[in-house]
Amino acid sequence: MTRSQISESAQRTRRLTMSAMYATLALIFTYVEFLIPYSVGIPGVKLGLANLVIIIALYEMDFRYAMAINLMRIALSGLLFSGIFAMFYSLAGGVISLIIMWLLMKTGKFSMIGVSMAGGVAHNMGQLLVAAFVVSNIKMFVYFPVLVFSGIGAGICIGIVAYVIDKRVPKQLFK
Amino acid sequence: MFKIVKKADIVLFIILIVLGLGLSWLSIAGSVTGQKAVVTVSGKVYGSYDLSRNQSVTIKHKGHTNKFSIKDGYVQMTYSDCKNQVCVKKGKINETNQSIVCLPNKIVITIEGGDDKYDAISN
Repeated sequence: MTRSQISESAQRTRRLTMSAMYATLALIFTYVEFLIPYSVGIPGVKLGLANLVIIIALYEMDFRYAMAINLMRIALSGLLFSGIFAMFYSLAGGVISLIIMWLLMKTGKFSMIGVSMAGGVAHNMGQLLVAAFVVSNIKMFVYFPVLVFSGIGAGICIGIVAYVIDKRVPKQLFK
Repeated sequence: MFKIVKKADIVLFIILIVLGLGLSWLSIAGSVTGQKAVVTVSGKVYGSYDLSRNQSVTIKHKGHTNKFSIKDGYVQMTYSDCKNQVCVKKGKINETNQSIVCLPNKIVITIEGGDDKYDAISN
């Protein structure tokens, strides 16, 4: 092997390890959130701590890595905590939100806070679409306003924290 | 700290707030006290119950059990064997834009006007 091949494979290993750590961290956040009881009475109103990890992965690594981490987290948390049924909600929310965040990030016009805010709303929208589909009832959309506002609030909180963390984490970790 | 917020963020924020307010308005507008509760299971109408008559109904569907009661014109889910109990926590409803949803058991209870004209059209 030439020197460049070695460094390339070392980089791949590094990224793989990072992704695995990120997935673990996201899974822990999901679990922490699962432990906190929410008495709002509306499914889907939550902070989305795991998105903290996902948004940093999206900015520092790549869309593909962020997506892989996200899918891993959803699959594992579905099997471990919330059940297969709830997994489909997470899947719809997680995938839609990540795609929206990625597209907004690519425009370069939004800060991390704006990206996270849009992600929060998109996440709730995705979940609601699945919910409306599951019960085959358009009246599900009465939940929409609450979910839009909670998505904005949670997204901004997560965005600010993600921004602060992103500034502090040494950049060479991701190289 | 606030320097990081860009113009596009604020525009997006305002758009989302307006969207949220618009949707709230849509769901509040045109709400009246209903006359009957319509129960839907997996998208199919399970039954329609008069709100003026106090009663307790048990819904059995694919091994799941839900119970709801009608009292003084209000509908309330009193029991559900589902995991999250969101439908039970929802409390009592009596207006046409309100609904109780039990996602795990795929049950939706909506309130309808029960107006004669409306019935004639829907029938």
